[in-house]
Amino acid sequence: MSELEFVDLSVKLGERTLLDRVTLRVAPGEFVALIGPNGAGKTTLLKAALGLRAPSAGSVRLANASLAELDARSRAARIAWLPQHIRAEEPLSGLESVAAARYRFRESHAESRRAAERALARVGASQYAERRVTELSGGERQRVAFACLVAQEADILLFDEPANHLDPAQQLDIYRLLGELWREGRSVLCINHDVNLLHQVGNAARVRVVGLRAGRLVFEAPLDAAALPEHIGDLFGVETESLQGSAQRFILPRARGAS
Amino acid sequence: MKRRAALLVVGCALLLLGAVLVGPRLEGAQGQFIIWQLRVPRVLVGMLVGATLALVGAVFQALFQNPLATSDTVGTTAGATVGALFALAIDSSRTVQGLPLVTVCAFAGALAASLLVASFASSRSAHSSDVLLAGIAVTLATSALASGIQYTADSRALFAATQWSLGQLPQVGYRGVLLLAPLCALSCALLLLLTRSLQAFALGEDLAHSQGVNVPRLRLLALALGSLGVASCVAWCGPIAFVGLVVPHLVRRLLGASYRVLLPMSLCVGAALLVTCDAFARLIVPGRELPVGIVTAALGAPTLVFLVARGRR
Repeated sequence: MSELEFVDLSVKLGERTLLDRVTLRVAPGEFVALIGPNGAGKTTLLKAALGLRAPSAGSVRLANASLAELDARSRAARIAWLPQHIRAEEPLSGLESVAAARYRFRESHAESRRAAERALARVGASQYAERRVTELSGGERQRVAFACLVAQEADILLFDEPANHLDPAQQLDIYRLLGELWREGRSVLCINHDVNLLHQVGNAARVRVVGLRAGRLVFEAPLDAAALPEHIGDLFGVETESLQGSAQRFILPRARGAS
Repeated sequence: MKRRAALLVVGCALLLLGAVLVGPRLEGAQGQFIIWQLRVPRVLVGMLVGATLALVGAVFQALFQNPLATSDTVGTTAGATVGALFALAIDSSRTVQGLPLVTVCAFAGALAASLLVASFASSRSAHSSDVLLAGIAVTLATSALASGIQYTADSRALFAATQWSLGQLPQVGYRGVLLLAPLCALSCALLLLLTRSLQAFALGEDLAHSQGVNVPRLRLLALALGSLGVASCVAWCGPIAFVGLVVPHLVRRLLGASYRVLLPMSLCVGAALLVTCDAFARLIVPGRELPVGIVTAALGAPTLVFLVARGRR
């Protein structure tokens, strides 16, 4: 099992600092939820973990090796990514798209296709196997991309707002799936805008919520911590209200000064 | 889908055969000579050039994630034009090691321009769109150079340059085929080996990177191999428009976008299309041959518009 570690990581784009000395460790089997205002550097952090953003200082370590030393295929064996936006301009079938995500395996095309069928079934997207991804809706496309991630069979999974643009039922379902993959022993680092959805993955005490603002880590707390609503309020500059539901606590934002 | 692909291959084979046979009735020893010494080698050159241009077009469209990318996009053709103009301005009849100076210079120009673009591509931080821009910049710069050469050239060289820039399959016999075949075969065979990584590119360059594709290496390999193939073709034939652009779109429309089908089928259809266009060029005006580049452009432009219009529906 692999461990992902950001050590004093800074990333700059020209003069602008996107990440400022971030140190964060995602241990094997851990679930870390990354929250923060727009432009806080969340996506940059995920991209740095993939080697898509070069550190200006500090380093990213994957399975006790520097990320830069790993070749592309071994990196892909350890870490996989569900991006926020999927490019779908080529009229490829869902199945072909998922089979292509098996690139890191040295296997025949028939084997890739079988694995792709399993991955599509796993995420409940078998019905998109023969449809062209260009003809799928945003939510359907997201499912196919999720199947790509599953088909890659990596130890660490990175998600960039996986429930973005989905209807409530789909949102719950995506997070339930995420919880399933986590409980199988994978580590998860997930950018999220609605902590209430995180309860879908189960075991709130083991979900670590990490706040990022202006490129810096500002707090860290378990999902069930009493202080979490206050942390979230400070992070986004809003008031928060906690409501105890039948199965979980809901944290809701409210404009500052409003009564 | 398999049946469609098989039908398309059979259709291509028939077109190739037809291209050898059509023309004035041929009899006796002279007829044999025309068929075996003139038409067959010319059809073979057409097949090699058409196949290479179409395959490289399909590969570059995948690589740059841009449906308008072609074998001309990375400056190869523009570089070849400068090389050819340079040779024509000096002396159009000179040969080097038995090869026309024009061909040698066009080949060198094509490779030089491609090398410039490839040096951008190998940078780790460059995105495909940056490489595309670099290609456009090199194309513009070399076009300026070409205009400069034309400005200083005499009228005979200018006429030769215009002829060259129309693009035609030359009467180069089996020797030309033997020179062209290894370069085109090498370029195409190795490009076909990149199918799997190009397929991963379909959902985006960054996602392909995360799936284990070594993006800078893929880009460099595809550019180098593609440019080698295109440079060899352009050096012999001049720029032949639209084959690299239209064929991949045509195949994609008929058989879908899976590169496992698209790349080999572009190869077949490109070969058949160029040879058929060349047969048209031989026959359309009795007693005179048009440059095939005019025919491909005349047929290619409306085909592209048609495909785009159908695609929108």
